[in-house]
Amino acid sequence: MGSILFIVWRESIEAVLVIGILLTCLNRLGAGRAARWWMWAGVAGGLMLSGALAAATMLVQDELQGRSLQWFQTGMMFAAAALLTQMVLWMQRQGRKMKAGLEADLTRAVARRQDIGAGLIALLAVAREGGETVLYVYGVGAGQSTLGVALPVVAGVALALLTAWLVSRGVRRLDYRIFFRVTGVLLLLSASGLVVSGVASLCGMGVLPGLIEPVWNTAGLLDSGSGLGAIIATLTGYRSSPSLTMVLSWVTYWIVVFWLTRRHQPAPAAATA
Amino acid sequence: MQKRFLMVLMAALPLALFAGRAMADVSVIQLNVQAGRFNPTTVTAPAGIKFKLHVNNAGPGAEEFESSDLNREIVVAPGHSIDVFLGPLQPGSYRFFGDFHPDTAQGRLVIR
Repeated sequence: MGSILFIVWRESIEAVLVIGILLTCLNRLGAGRAARWWMWAGVAGGLMLSGALAAATMLVQDELQGRSLQWFQTGMMFAAAALLTQMVLWMQRQGRKMKAGLEADLTRAVARRQDIGAGLIALLAVAREGGETVLYVYGVGAGQSTLGVALPVVAGVALALLTAWLVSRGVRRLDYRIFFRVTGVLLLLSASGLVVSGVASLCGMGVLPGLIEPVWNTAGLLDSGSGLGAIIATLTGYRSSPSLTMVLSWVTYWIVVFWLTRRHQPAPAAATA
Repeated sequence: MQKRFLMVLMAALPLALFAGRAMADVSVIQLNVQAGRFNPTTVTAPAGIKFKLHVNNAGPGAEEFESSDLNREIVVAPGHSIDVFLGPLQPGSYRFFGDFHPDTAQGRLVIR
C-alpha cells in the first residue's frame, strides 16, 4: 500500500505541478477558459496514451520494436521541453505587456495556438510517467484486491494534487512580477530536467556518447535516485552523477533560453519611451 | 520562434545519427532479472570502454532497470530484453536496481 502510494505520488507530482502552475499562469493572463478546456482534454489524452504506452511495452516483439518505443519516449521528452519553454517565454512576454498596461495584442489565432500548446503540454506531462506507473501498479497489484490497489493510487494522485494546490496557492499571493518570474523559473527548470533525461536516454540507446562519466558524484550529498533527491531531480534537472554530455546539454539549454529571452526583451530606451 | 526550435532540432539530429553509427560494435554483458532479483548481482566491466548491458527479464511482470549512478531508466517487458549502452566509465562501483521491486532487485556494476 505504502509503496504504491509513494510511487504514484512521485510519478504524478511533476505532471500535476506543471499543469497546475500553467493553469494558474493562464488564468492570471486572462486566457483561462479555452486553455482550461484544452488542458483537460490533454490530461484525458495523456491518460489514454499512458495506457497505450503500457500496452505497447508489454507487447514488444523484438529489439527493433523496443528501440522504436525508446525513440518515441525520448522524442516525447524533447517535445515536452520545447513546448514548455515556448509557452513560458510567451507567458513572460504577455505578463510584461499586461503589467505595462498595454492592450493585449494577441489575436484570437495566436491565443488558440497557445491553448492547443497548453493541451499538448498536459498530454505529454501525463503520458511521460503515466505509462510506467500503469505498468508498475499493474505488476504490484496482481493478486491483490481491487480496493487494495485503487485506494493507494487515488491517495497518491490526491497527495500530488494537494502538493500542487499548496504550491500554486503559495505563488498566487506573489506580486505580479515576481509571480511570473517564479513560475517561469519553476517551469523552465522542469523543462531543463526533461532535456537532461532525454539526453541520458539517447546515451543509453548508444546514440550519444557520455564523454566523461561521471563528471562528479554528489550522491553522498543528495542522491538523485531516492526519496527527496529523486523528486528534486525530476523538478530541476539535478543529477548526482551526470555524464559530461548531460551537463553540456543542461548548460546549452539555459544558454538558448537566455538568448531567446533577451531577443524578445524590448531595448531599455524603447521601454521608457 | 517555433521555427527556431525546429532548426535546433534538425541540426541536432544528423549529429545524433552519426554518433549512433560509431557505436554499433561493442562488447555485450549479460544481466538477467527474474521475480524481482538480478543475476548476477555484481557485474564487472573494464574501465575506459563502451559496452552494452543486455538486460533480460524472465518475468513474471515488467521490471524497470534503473540507476541514478548510471543515469539509466528503462522498462523491460517480461520475456524480453533490452540493450543498455554504457561507458566509457570511470573506475568505481555503480548501484542499479529494479524500480518495480526496489526491495529485492538490487545490484551493482563494478568498473576497474
